[in-house]
Amino acid sequence: MRWKRVYAVAFALHFLLISTVSCRELTFNVARGLTIAPGPARSVAQRFEPVVEAALGRHLGPQNPVRTALSTYWHLGGIEGGYGFFAPNVPSSYKLVLELHDASGRIEYDLPRVGSHAAGLRIASLLDQVGRTQSEPMREYIVRSMAASAWRDHPQAVLVRAVFGKVVPPTIDEAGQGKKETYQVLFVYDFSRADTEPPPHE
Amino acid sequence: MKAWRERASRWLFPAESDTWLTVLRVGLGVHVALYALSLGRDWSYLFARSATGLPTRELSERVLSLETPYVPRIGWFVAIASRLGASDGAVLTVLWLCLVVAGGALAVGLYCRPAAIACWLLHLSAAKSGDFLAYGVDRFMTIGLFYLMLSPLPDRRALDHRRRGKPAGRPELLGFYRRVLQVHVCLIYLYGGLNKCLGASWWTGENLWRALTRPPFDVIAPDVLLHFKSLFPIAGISILVLETCYPLFIGLRKTRRIWLIGVLAMHLGIGLMMGMYSFALVMMILNAAAFGVGAWTTASSSPREVVDDRAPQGGG
Repeated sequence: MRWKRVYAVAFALHFLLISTVSCRELTFNVARGLTIAPGPARSVAQRFEPVVEAALGRHLGPQNPVRTALSTYWHLGGIEGGYGFFAPNVPSSYKLVLELHDASGRIEYDLPRVGSHAAGLRIASLLDQVGRTQSEPMREYIVRSMAASAWRDHPQAVLVRAVFGKVVPPTIDEAGQGKKETYQVLFVYDFSRADTEPPPHE
Repeated sequence: MKAWRERASRWLFPAESDTWLTVLRVGLGVHVALYALSLGRDWSYLFARSATGLPTRELSERVLSLETPYVPRIGWFVAIASRLGASDGAVLTVLWLCLVVAGGALAVGLYCRPAAIACWLLHLSAAKSGDFLAYGVDRFMTIGLFYLMLSPLPDRRALDHRRRGKPAGRPELLGFYRRVLQVHVCLIYLYGGLNKCLGASWWTGENLWRALTRPPFDVIAPDVLLHFKSLFPIAGISILVLETCYPLFIGLRKTRRIWLIGVLAMHLGIGLMMGMYSFALVMMILNAAAFGVGAWTTASSSPREVVDDRAPQGGG
């Protein structure tokens, strides 16, 4: 029956795309030596990587209709990335601490606050993105916006120092010896009220 | 060649009852409503324009536009509503309300198809406009809602079928969409497992320790976890085996139940021990719909039984 053939072809193309996207993540990790795969596997992955990229249309220009169509489809279907969550290794987590300085020199500390646990997980995702991004202007832009909420809770503050860092948890053995997590400062930003508050007309 | 084709056709289009679709519809409907309700207090902060909230919507939508301009986003709704004079905040409130209502309608089976499309569209818009805030749960919700929207709705337990007499889908088509979901779930675990297998610290249990002690997933105090220190390598390897071997053992009738119980227990553990309730719930729904329905019956239903089983029950 014709309808079955149409469905079968769609099935094949859909899962070819999903497998290719997943292979892309796998080859990316192996090619960059992020895994325990031996050296020869790494060089195979490095050779295989451009093939996978080409199969996904990534070699085409950003305005190319094939590339755009593929990108659109995988975003609509939720298949834009692989499934290697917490793999090959669990990444570090990040933390933003806000130091609030008032006119007398007194310092208070605060963290970005949200109203629910569900939103808290999303803020953690945002902090991970801030920690991983290579774009300094984007990092500063997001941190400044997160710092802006502190003015509402601390009206007496004249300066907010946003300290962005990585949380380094102890290994199992280190924890057994009593070692606690450490906080490694990565970036520090100072914002005055004028830096973070929106213009009056907004 | 003909025999091979027939075998492939039987595998791809098995006659199925619509019970799995009921599980997927009700599960995702409830999940969408809970998703919206759990973010209700922070909805504006997370998605409003940068002057009043985080700048993630602007950034996410700009990045998305570089890749493709055709994926739904909150900015589309705001642009349309602004022509009618509606503010950004009002649009966000309406979108949130629509998400709750669409999730509720989907759960009870009222206007199934429009409700499924609305859930997919609104959730996808929020997920894409908040891409900087997204994590695994959003991807799996999109996957589930994408398939649900295309599946032959309504199922016979939906209000649409019971009250308005809307006919249920063809058994072969129901079987096809379940097969799609099954294969996708298998690939999710296979690739997830393979990626983990390539990380040395999953074999030693160190990665599991890191996952459980990493903020904000550190629901259980490290001091408590240390009492179970010797179990971490076993638990780590168990996760690798469960995920990587999932396509094989979930496919075999003899091992399906035990594998399903193992995977559901793993997700329950993720939910309770890491506070990822939403993620755990959506994975359990996908597993239950894909492999849970029928896993406890002794033999697969014949096509004839399936068709009989799908006959309207009373009141139709």
